[in-house]
Amino acid sequence: MAEIVAERYTGASIKRSEDPRILTGAGRYVDDIKLPGMLHAAFVRSPLAHGLVLSVDVSAAQALPGVVAVLTGADLEPMTVPGPDPLMALLGWAGPTPEFTLLATDKVRFMGDPVAIVVAESRYLAEDGCELVEVDYDDLPPVVTAAFALDPGSPPLFANLGDNIARPHSRNEFGDVAGTFAKADRVIDFHIDVHRHQNVPMEGRGCIASWDAGLAAMTVYAATQSVHITRTGVATRLGIEPDQVRVLAGDIGGSFGLKIGASREELAVAAASRHLGRPVKWVEDRGENLTASGQAREESFDVRAAVSHDGDLLGLDVKTVIDTGAYPGMGMGAMVPDIMQAMLPGPYQLAALGFESTAAITNKATYVAYRGPWASETFVRERVLDLIAKDLGLDPVEIRLRNVALRTDPPASMITGQPLVGVTSKESLDRVAQLLDFPAFRRRQAQARAQGRYLGIGVATFIEAAPGPRGPDGALGSESMRLRLEQDGIVALFTGQMPHGQSHQTTLAQIAADEFGVPFEQVRVVVGDSDVVPFGLTGGSRSATMTGGVALHGARELKAKVLDFAAYLMEASAQDLLITDGDVWVRGDPASAIAVSEVARRAAAGQFGADVDAALEVEATFDGGAGGWSGGTHGAIVAVDVETGLVQVERYVAVEDCGALINPAVVEGQIRGGIAQGIGAVLLERSAYGEDGSFQSATFMDYLMPTTCDVPRIEIEHLETVPLDADVNFRGVGEGGMVVAPPTVVNAIEDALAPFGVRIYEQHLPPARILELIAAADSGQ
Amino acid sequence: MKLPPVEYEAPTTVTEAIDVLAEQLDEASVLAGGQSLIPLLALRLARPAVLIDINGLDELSGVSATDGWVAIGAMTREYVAEESEIVADAVPLLAAALPLIGHEAIRSRGTIGGSLAHADPAAELPAVARALDAEFVLRGPSGMRVVPAARWFEGYLTTARRSDELLLEVRFPAAGRGTGVSFAEVARRHGDFAIVGLAVSLVLSGEVISDARLAFAGVSDVPVRATAAEDLLVGERPSAELFDEAARRATDDLDPPADLHGSSDYRKTVAAAIVRRGLRAAADNARERQ
Amino acid sequence: MADITLRVNGATREGSPEVRKTLADFLREDLDLTGTHVGCEHGVCGACTVIVDGRAVRSCLMLAVQAAGREVTTIEGLAPDGGLGPLQQAMWDSHSFQCGFCTPGFVMQATAFLSDHPDAGEQQIREALSGNICRCTGYQSIIDGVLLAAERNRER
Repeated sequence: MAEIVAERYTGASIKRSEDPRILTGAGRYVDDIKLPGMLHAAFVRSPLAHGLVLSVDVSAAQALPGVVAVLTGADLEPMTVPGPDPLMALLGWAGPTPEFTLLATDKVRFMGDPVAIVVAESRYLAEDGCELVEVDYDDLPPVVTAAFALDPGSPPLFANLGDNIARPHSRNEFGDVAGTFAKADRVIDFHIDVHRHQNVPMEGRGCIASWDAGLAAMTVYAATQSVHITRTGVATRLGIEPDQVRVLAGDIGGSFGLKIGASREELAVAAASRHLGRPVKWVEDRGENLTASGQAREESFDVRAAVSHDGDLLGLDVKTVIDTGAYPGMGMGAMVPDIMQAMLPGPYQLAALGFESTAAITNKATYVAYRGPWASETFVRERVLDLIAKDLGLDPVEIRLRNVALRTDPPASMITGQPLVGVTSKESLDRVAQLLDFPAFRRRQAQARAQGRYLGIGVATFIEAAPGPRGPDGALGSESMRLRLEQDGIVALFTGQMPHGQSHQTTLAQIAADEFGVPFEQVRVVVGDSDVVPFGLTGGSRSATMTGGVALHGARELKAKVLDFAAYLMEASAQDLLITDGDVWVRGDPASAIAVSEVARRAAAGQFGADVDAALEVEATFDGGAGGWSGGTHGAIVAVDVETGLVQVERYVAVEDCGALINPAVVEGQIRGGIAQGIGAVLLERSAYGEDGSFQSATFMDYLMPTTCDVPRIEIEHLETVPLDADVNFRGVGEGGMVVAPPTVVNAIEDALAPFGVRIYEQHLPPARILELIAAADSGQ
Repeated sequence: MKLPPVEYEAPTTVTEAIDVLAEQLDEASVLAGGQSLIPLLALRLARPAVLIDINGLDELSGVSATDGWVAIGAMTREYVAEESEIVADAVPLLAAALPLIGHEAIRSRGTIGGSLAHADPAAELPAVARALDAEFVLRGPSGMRVVPAARWFEGYLTTARRSDELLLEVRFPAAGRGTGVSFAEVARRHGDFAIVGLAVSLVLSGEVISDARLAFAGVSDVPVRATAAEDLLVGERPSAELFDEAARRATDDLDPPADLHGSSDYRKTVAAAIVRRGLRAAADNARERQ
Repeated sequence: MADITLRVNGATREGSPEVRKTLADFLREDLDLTGTHVGCEHGVCGACTVIVDGRAVRSCLMLAVQAAGREVTTIEGLAPDGGLGPLQQAMWDSHSFQCGFCTPGFVMQATAFLSDHPDAGEQQIREALSGNICRCTGYQSIIDGVLLAAERNRER
């Protein structure tokens, strides 16, 4: 008699359950939704970087046929309640809190600052209406650099702060900084700049807010990384109870950290809907997305490195200034230094770290979270290692191998406290060096140089807390999930995760299917309804561990419950029961099999005594288990055309360790996408402002995105995992590619330009800049 | 970014089109392929009162060869010209430039006439037209006239076309024996507008350059013929030294614009590199075609 | 306003769009075919790509009125009854996409390209798709999907 055997899904590149709808145009993104009576909104936005709003005349706009309402910042004030951004509140921001109105009333603080909302029968008409709103501005001197912002003479953007400091200067030291620097053979100074660039998901921000006056209920169709955080934001600002707000999210066209909480525009849309008693839709266009949605990464670093003659990196002393743009309360810029500080040592054994930071407020779009918000610490560290190597005559792999922490038991700790448990940086470095074959490359490089062609090779190593080790303070947070066996035999997982490309509907189903014992198709992952799913947020590279873990343990708990009930039904002992392929059966007796749907149906239909638990549902939580790091080493070979400055990435390899892979194709997709963003940052992408604060990258002709011809085939190898936990060894991988690709590529470019004596202290290297660097090095600057 | 309110006319004959143009003059924009005009409208940078859609004028499409010239109707789609054997054979410089224009979907709708009437100085077709001394055939209420390329491009996005005239066709001289061409450009990405581009057409008689035409894209507010370099090249044999000197002469007097993608100095430096590369490629092409 | 009649995905459709309305918006709003996505509205990202009279075009750069009398195919029309055509199947098998927003544009552009160039190699495919922007994938999985579809087509 044939044994029923379960399929194994975890670890296989199972085809995505998202794809049939994605591939046929049946996805449901916010802009696809049409509600009866729905209106459309557009925003009047400031053309100035900094100015006083003297008057706003909406009469001509209101008179335009098709325009239903125009609400100014002043109109919205009595309709809303001031409150903190929900994400910042969740993260516990306790620093300077600028006070500002929902839409600009007295002042505009960046080009694109929303001043009024026009609601009309169509987006076309709403934009027509916006053009008819007359705003009288008085220019104020713009604060366009962090340096000027930190100058006490700069005009304060916020009256209640009195200065332009989003986060006051602070300094922390780990280890004996003074002593380490005093004893070092050499101390080398660098100044490194990272440029402003941004998330640019293919779908911009947007929502439909629908107020039902009869029920006093607000429904928001959102594009968000957390329906609950958006709900909190909307409820707080509208001054209503959270249970009066329901947030629904369907398919989301990418986010990369942008769509979290509730933006000022979305809150204005909600207020407008309540005011009008009709659904109002706002979907930002690309100009708004580039100009106003938020930007990231504009940071400068003064770095001192204490080194030995042999290339030991003994200590780093880093001073950073972050340009958080206007409205820092709406984004996490001012909190980024904390993560940077914690992560700066990376997988290296430093004896000392000094870290100081300040965050400045400027007349630019708000600094928002962008995939790997702390990434510049890896850029700085990996750049500095190469620069030191060059100064000391060492090779880039050699200096890293010299300094990388080895895997010991107990594990080494970062000087900032976190244990480097399970970190395989050395192994990844060795393997990348092997894959790139440095000696062969150096020969090819020399031949190419003789022909006037400049090839370069670069590597960089990183770790990311995905979710991070169970550190000194012990906590990794927790993740909840509700799991239920439905009457049709479907195992339903209700999660607060809000996938926007991460394929959770597939990966979580793989885990649950394996653990519970049903076919993959018999698991349904339910997301995107704040009335139905537990609290959660997709972000921070946590879901593989936290949600994968709660899915595994939750499925196990649910299975135990189901088996207890099935034991009652089948008059067997639960220990003798198995679930495979969707059937419950007695071990050794395949003929006893009954479908789980039958078990569920009978649980729902029957009447049982108090000692029989027929509620086939569990609320599971998971604390992260052993947690862990992800990380690895990337390597690139580039070709630099020194006559035009154009750079081609010829080859890119990534050796990474994210523990056990749930779905290799999904993992690799995440890595490649992050790498593409890193290549984009170095070669193409810049959120550019003029000296007057005007934004200059408001179209895709100016903000250049990497294309199929800019991103090569990326070779990915996964390292054998170091299991830390009996069950949950999946670790996150969402952000790493974007964190480590920029230094990888810049290191390769500097190597290509070594014959010219070029040293690179910045991240953005468009063709014109490459030629400038060559010319400057030539002339000995 | 939605288009602003605009009136719309869709004439079915050239005569009708000209009548509407004569009525509307500067209030109208002619809508051909739309690949340049519609983005301008969507960004609300252009605000014509009327769009005159000439996509219905079938008589303006087509490629034909007569008497040493290739006539291309203004509404000929770029992809049609790209696939045309007549163009490949007789206007090889055009054939070399066409695949560089944007992407396939752009060339599905974009037109030869539309691109040349829009006259973006960083675009490929204006440089080709200038290099080859193409001729622009116009018709207006007062009849037909022909404008040579040297007088067609008047300024930034400005041509010799009067507001009441319709561009009917563009004529390119057929390439003679010994012609070699290249279109070299430096662009940030595949398919982007040129930061600097160069259309080159050389004629090699034996080993001697008997004709040289070089026209830049992206170095000014109009395409620019590098006449000093052309004068140097004629009568000489191709060599690296010659091409170096040609690059110097071609770029000495350039004062290119600066923008987000490059400073004036950068464009000038790159222009010189492009001249060397373009001349090498054209000379090689001439030898292949011999 | 202009009354127009056109063929969309094999069916005759009618509408009365404002003359300034783009084909992209007309498909999405007037015909409820929301599969075609709008990513930039200035013709650069390619998310709005549809097929008109056999050619891939950017529907944000066409007015709806210009599509009168034309044959338009959108992503909804590629395979019968919500099934998957060979390219879509190959892309599913290749894990081509993540968030899905760029997908319709890539699928339509690749469909048009492959029908003209069934034997295209990787470099040609990359160039042909260089006018479509994806933020999630780094493109390799998309290219793999197209290559797989071409290979299967040759084997047929």
